[in-house]
Amino acid sequence: MTGITRRTALTGAIAIPAAAAMTRAAKAAPTAIELFFPVPVQGMLANKMKELVDRFNKEHPAIAATAVYTGTYDDTNLKTRAAIKAGRPPALTLMSANFVREYVINGDADPFDPLIEKGGSTPAAFMAQFWPALAPNAVIGGRVYGVPFQNSTPLLYYNPALFKEAGLDPERPPVDWQAWISAAKALTKPGAGRWGVIWPNTYDYCGWITSGLVMSNGGQYFNHDYGGEVFYDAPSTQGALALVDTLVNRLKAMPPGVSDANTCTGALFAGKAAMMVLSTGSLSFIRKNMKLPYKVAFMPKNVRNAAPIGGGSLILPKGNTPARQAAAWTLVNWLTSPEIAGEWSRFTGYFAPRKAAYDLPAMKTYMAQNPDAKVALDQLEYAVPWFDTYNTIAVRKAMEDQVQAILSAKTTPKEAVAAAQKAADALLRPYVEKTALRPLA
Amino acid sequence: MRAEGRLLLPLLASAAALLWAVPFAWMAVASLRPGVPADIASLTPAGPFGFDNFAEAWKSGSFPVWYLNTLFVCGGILAVQLVSATMAGYAFARIAFPGRDFVFAAFLLQLLLIPPLLIVPNLATLASLHLYDTLFGIMMPYFASAFGVFLMRQTFKSLPRDYEEAAMLDGAGVGALIRHVLVPLARPGLVAFAIVSVTAHWNEFLWPLMAVSSPDRQVLTVGMASFASGAEAGSAWGVVAAGTFLVAGPLLVLFLVFQRRFVSSFVFSGFK
Repeated sequence: MTGITRRTALTGAIAIPAAAAMTRAAKAAPTAIELFFPVPVQGMLANKMKELVDRFNKEHPAIAATAVYTGTYDDTNLKTRAAIKAGRPPALTLMSANFVREYVINGDADPFDPLIEKGGSTPAAFMAQFWPALAPNAVIGGRVYGVPFQNSTPLLYYNPALFKEAGLDPERPPVDWQAWISAAKALTKPGAGRWGVIWPNTYDYCGWITSGLVMSNGGQYFNHDYGGEVFYDAPSTQGALALVDTLVNRLKAMPPGVSDANTCTGALFAGKAAMMVLSTGSLSFIRKNMKLPYKVAFMPKNVRNAAPIGGGSLILPKGNTPARQAAAWTLVNWLTSPEIAGEWSRFTGYFAPRKAAYDLPAMKTYMAQNPDAKVALDQLEYAVPWFDTYNTIAVRKAMEDQVQAILSAKTTPKEAVAAAQKAADALLRPYVEKTALRPLA
Repeated sequence: MRAEGRLLLPLLASAAALLWAVPFAWMAVASLRPGVPADIASLTPAGPFGFDNFAEAWKSGSFPVWYLNTLFVCGGILAVQLVSATMAGYAFARIAFPGRDFVFAAFLLQLLLIPPLLIVPNLATLASLHLYDTLFGIMMPYFASAFGVFLMRQTFKSLPRDYEEAAMLDGAGVGALIRHVLVPLARPGLVAFAIVSVTAHWNEFLWPLMAVSSPDRQVLTVGMASFASGAEAGSAWGVVAAGTFLVAGPLLVLFLVFQRRFVSSFVFSGFK
């Protein structure tokens, strides 16, 4: 006797391949999703993102996520839209936080609310885990369309050695515009080719910093709740442009014309600029590459402290199956968990949008070792939403073109705000006519 | 007067060459300086110099994969284009069929369309053919090149018909005629077209970015951008310059090696 009957052998022969097939099915059919992400700061960021997603895949065998590098924020926007239109939307996109509103207006994004509720939470409780200033760019029309992932505010970077040389106290950076202007004047040395202050005024950066100045001047700049209104022709805006005009054209303490971010960091690194306004997202880059000592401070205020939010949020492009959305949601939760959010923040210099990230020991050590990151975090108390409207880019440019004209002394602040408002109103008109001014029948 | 004229031309040419060479020299100098030196804009810095930037650029991406993909895409596009442009060019140059001029004009209209206009329709076509996110998908829209057909038509038209008539008397069919008589005669035109095609597709960014998502199907330009563009921070110019060298290098070498041949092709084809 062999001990195995023909029948058991047969059952075994059937059962084993069946079981193997089942485990194979479980293994071979992980939900494939892709995350489109732009590289917003310099360095090996794309590799870091891939490393994170690899770790995610290891911890979640049922999901196969791919991190797809998609160029700049603008390229990412273009690729995401084209992919949606072609019927092949990515499961998740890391999008410039101020583009989220347009995705909603155009019907190109799905809300996170059903996924949040399925997990047993509420949209309000979910958003309460993030810094409050992030909500207006993420919650649109009462629904959550963006989950903040990497965020920044503008920061005043300065060279303490040059402060000392000019007879200023390096421990007391300018806190208001008056002190800022006098410091910029004192720090300017035309003979040494040194500017008192510099900041980038290329498209996007220009609008961001200008909005920060307007908000520090007490203004709103745009309607945070409705995408059809901007407050360009307002005293707070005119005053902010007057500051630019004064620094550039009257005091010659800031370079005329449009400088880009690379010129600005280059000037700060070389001691050719004593103060610079730049994103907190540049902190790691500057910390790593600046040979001279530097310090950071809040954006100086005129009426109130204010700093606009920048950075990127995760969105759900329209047209995905429920299975892909569920997998994307798992990835969103993992990426924005305090551990990963903190790790990404330490690697990039962005602040972690998730408040709990700062309660973890690794983050506490990092904050203690890097007082500059602490300043960036403290400024969050004064953070205000990022400019987002219908047709965001064009409306933003309406103001940027005027600021750039001031930088080359081609217009005055008063004329500039009126011209910008006129251009912006014309651009917003189609949306306004469909919404706020919709004929009431 | 005449002597001055003879001097003027080389002087102008040298000035143009200098204009071209300065950014290039800048890139070369910057790529050899590690870190982010304060005088990054200097053309004649004191040093130190090193290959650290190249090492960092190489580490920042999967260059071997990108090279292979780019070679495959450029080679594949060119191979199909050479066949399609030669055959269509011959048809437009030599075969009389009704509506030929109209079809040719319609064909040339392609040149007027700016490529970004076609991104969405092309992507939709790729998706319906299940070619989205494939290298073949990057290549496909370029298989029938209006420019190539135009160039080959002009090249064939400039060839004297005597050769063809002689070949036909000897009993050659159309296939043999094209293969053994016309293509060898039109080789300078084909080479000129090949240069234009390979350079264009090697440098192309937007379409490959749109058509392909998987990292292992990425081409050089898209990969390169992953460390060349920073929105909010400053750039490490040295690494960017080194990466640019890695991307442009193969084309530069190719041009240096075949320089004489390329120049004579352009001169022959009357295409400058």
